[in-house]
Amino acid sequence: MNRNRTAAAAAASLALVLAGCATSTDDGGSNEGSGDGGPVELRFQSLAFQESTIEATQDIVDAWNEENPDAQVEYVQGSWDSVQDQLVTQFQGGTAPDIIQYESAAMTQFAQQGYLADLSDHLSDEVQSAVSDDIWQTVTFDDQVIAAPTLLQSYVVFANRDLLEEAGVEIPEGDTWSWDDFQAAAEATTQGDVHGLGWGLGDPTATMMSLGLNFGAQYFEGAGDEAEVQVGEAELALPERIHEMVYEDQSLDPVTLTQSGSDVMTQFLKGRYAMTVQGSYVAQTLAESAPKDLDWVVMPALEADTAEQAANPQTLSVSAQSEGVEQAAEFIDFYMQAEHLAAVAEGDWLIPASTDAAAVVEENTGGENGWSTILASGEFLTQAPFQAATSYPQWKDQIATPSFQRFLGDEISADELATELTEGWQSVNR
Amino acid sequence: MTSTTPVPAPALPRDAKQPRRGRRPRREGRDAWLLLLPALVPVALFSVYPLLQGIYLGFTDSEAGLNQVTHFTGFENYADLLDNELFWSSFRIGLIWAFSVTILQFVSALGLALLLNQPLRLRWLARILALVPWAMPPVVVAIMWRLVYNPNNGPVSGLSQLLGLGQLNLLGDFGTALPAVIVVGVWAGMPQTTIALLAGLQSVDPSLHEAAAVDGAGAWSRLFHVTLPELRPVIIAITSLNFIWNVNTFDLIYVLTNGGPGGRTMLPMLFAYNEAFRYGNFGVAAAMGNVMVVLIVGFLLLYLRSRLKGIRE
Amino acid sequence: MSIGRTSPQVRAGQYAALAAYVVFLGFPLVWLLSTAFKSTREIALGDSGLLPSSPTLTNFADAVDKANLFEAGRNSLVVALATTVLTVVVCLPAAYALARFRTILRPITLAWILISQVFPTILVIIPLFLILKQYRLLDALPGLAIVYVVFTLPFCLWMLIGFVAAIPRELEEAGAMDGASRLRILISIVMPLLRPGIIATALFAFISSWNEFLFALVLIQSPEKATLPLTLSRFVGAEGQVQLGALAAASLLATIPSLLFFALIQRRLSSGLLVGAVKG
Repeated sequence: MNRNRTAAAAAASLALVLAGCATSTDDGGSNEGSGDGGPVELRFQSLAFQESTIEATQDIVDAWNEENPDAQVEYVQGSWDSVQDQLVTQFQGGTAPDIIQYESAAMTQFAQQGYLADLSDHLSDEVQSAVSDDIWQTVTFDDQVIAAPTLLQSYVVFANRDLLEEAGVEIPEGDTWSWDDFQAAAEATTQGDVHGLGWGLGDPTATMMSLGLNFGAQYFEGAGDEAEVQVGEAELALPERIHEMVYEDQSLDPVTLTQSGSDVMTQFLKGRYAMTVQGSYVAQTLAESAPKDLDWVVMPALEADTAEQAANPQTLSVSAQSEGVEQAAEFIDFYMQAEHLAAVAEGDWLIPASTDAAAVVEENTGGENGWSTILASGEFLTQAPFQAATSYPQWKDQIATPSFQRFLGDEISADELATELTEGWQSVNR
Repeated sequence: MTSTTPVPAPALPRDAKQPRRGRRPRREGRDAWLLLLPALVPVALFSVYPLLQGIYLGFTDSEAGLNQVTHFTGFENYADLLDNELFWSSFRIGLIWAFSVTILQFVSALGLALLLNQPLRLRWLARILALVPWAMPPVVVAIMWRLVYNPNNGPVSGLSQLLGLGQLNLLGDFGTALPAVIVVGVWAGMPQTTIALLAGLQSVDPSLHEAAAVDGAGAWSRLFHVTLPELRPVIIAITSLNFIWNVNTFDLIYVLTNGGPGGRTMLPMLFAYNEAFRYGNFGVAAAMGNVMVVLIVGFLLLYLRSRLKGIRE
Repeated sequence: MSIGRTSPQVRAGQYAALAAYVVFLGFPLVWLLSTAFKSTREIALGDSGLLPSSPTLTNFADAVDKANLFEAGRNSLVVALATTVLTVVVCLPAAYALARFRTILRPITLAWILISQVFPTILVIIPLFLILKQYRLLDALPGLAIVYVVFTLPFCLWMLIGFVAAIPRELEEAGAMDGASRLRILISIVMPLLRPGIIATALFAFISSWNEFLFALVLIQSPEKATLPLTLSRFVGAEGQVQLGALAAASLLATIPSLLFFALIQRRLSSGLLVGAVKG
């Protein structure tokens, strides 16, 4: 009795395993490309997670597949959280997707390891001229264009208009808003249960690198393997300003310092904070989930010495191991066309890197829901040195983030912060 | 496996086994190899060989990259590790974690096992609940506890708000992250320890207890002087195993905090994983693995030697 | 184990302690359950109590829909079943041989069983990755199953050796004396007695495979081949809004199969393991 059952079960599982074998060799085959004459099959890993963006991306893929029967693109869903380790193992194992979505700061590492194809010859003039040189800098490594920049975000201040008016704060007319005014506004609006500012700095490094440019913070000198960390007055200006707002002005709620942006947004929606600094894409949450009685507004770009912020665009790259590098690059070019990029930008509520696409977005949305201000803030995005430093991701994870968190938690002083950042770089960048 | 078992004379008593013994060892050896072959081959290929190679990698500069060449670098990785603050911090956290969780697991599992051994009414419920964490993937356990610890809508934070203490972000706060995570570790490890201890308890000879009771020993005294000594082998076995498993924890912490905040819950396995698969430093990661093994085995040997001194088995 | 009468106060104390354990062990589960049935709005508002005020099934629909839960579940099931069957099939003869025969492989195997418990997976995983790549078993469910079998073997062998050793040799020898062939002895005498051991092995192999994460994380890259733990872990971190309700629902669904398997075997479990543990 037992034997029959066992035999049956064994046979069944063997069948399953063999079936699994069959499918795996198929996929192995597709990565090696089909023989001559058959269509090239490309895998495009997209990290989009918003439904609207997924739809927009899928539309682009479908449109491409219709026009290009010899180069079929397959949409593969990836995730932001796991893409880093995933790409490392995939590149190493030779199973990386042909078209890869990620961000410029993280691509330097893979470019240096030789895994990315040079796109400069394959992108059309139209696409190349629609994106500013500053932004092209962020995806150029060793004179090779290793990625196409697609979407960007800036950090903006969202404010509760009613609370601002109550405190007598004026909403500026121009393109920018000075840090001093911002700080004053935060203080003025802090009363009773309400804090003037909630800022989700659970993951502080990106903010410090980017907004730090307002104060002229460079952090890095040199590029690639030669980059060195330097922390001086300019670099410490932003952390110290935030520190001030928490501990001296008491206008910035310390609880938010270890939270994520979206957690703070939940509280902002309940009226607990008069203002909050967020990535510009958070406008979507406000547009879609804000209670009717919340009159929210996007403040103009923050400015200290300058209004510049780091451009860290999302990117599309082609794997150097791909069988269809040319076709993959052409797909990227297709994706970058104004109409297409605009659709994705609207879905993700991000700023398109291409000015043509930005114009389309402005038209489609009528500039509402803060789109005008947000698109305008895109003008201030420029390349920052940290993007060219090879070991930046590791330094960010292991050194910068904990150190910034400790500084904001008042556990270390500004000088100690500077020391930790510089010395940490030495140990990471062997 | 065809047997040409010699046909014994019909009236031979059972203990006349000698005639057979002479021929067995040789056939036994061959039979053994045959039976073990399906296990040996995959194990050699996918376990032993990679392990040896992994150990070797710890002495090289292996890195991720297209067409990378790997060089033997001897003890260079280890010299670097000596200076690596982050590695030692992670190692320290790993030790705190392993010791705390193992000890707490033992104590709470012992308590539960003792209770389950009593004729209490609802113990079937406790028994089932004690087993459930075992059936749950560590990933799910981590997700579940993230929901519980959520500062915005979790019950822990909700309770603290009710009590007027404001929002509690246990997993995000530097000081509370490790303890909060340890609680989860204990929760997840209850099943194995409880079952092992319960099985041990049930095999303790009741007459020993009766004898002690007759001598006037109270419940606590019986616990310490009769029960625990009887359970010694089981306790040593399960705590050693737990210690090893706890040092090697990965799944739980990866999903629960991913080493944060600021590296406060960065267990060594996660640290090594990041080194290998986030930053591509294979040689360094392997070196870390080697160091971990040496240190763990060292601890275990010390522990076992001290514990086993009393046992004459 | 209680001798004589326990006083009512002690009893009360015991019940209180038991209650505390029940709460500690059960509360997170209840929370998970309740979150799975809460609507997104209710969760976002954040001030809901233990029970959902307006229970909804949308989370489950979302989970299945967005997370490819069925696919992942199917992958996990296939791998787990394959692992279970292969492990038992490979383990049985090996355990028998190691328990019954005097061979040099015995101490070697026992040593390897110990060693494999101590060595961190991180050491093995990088070379394993490269080896599987060579055999084209990377990013493939069969490759994952083979790895699972290899790494479940130590513990299963250890258990089964104990079970086999618990069967008195005399029984087999009696069978031999009655003229039965070796194979016949194995099938009619040994196997039935080993049933609890086989079940324990199967259970352990299934659960280990179902729950496993690290190997899957490194060896499987395509989302369509991801196993459940992998899919769930990626669900957790979507930059921005995480749908907690759907996540809870997905987690629940992911646990049900192994819970079922567990429940079916539960009664045999403790007695079976007892024998194995004590003899091992």
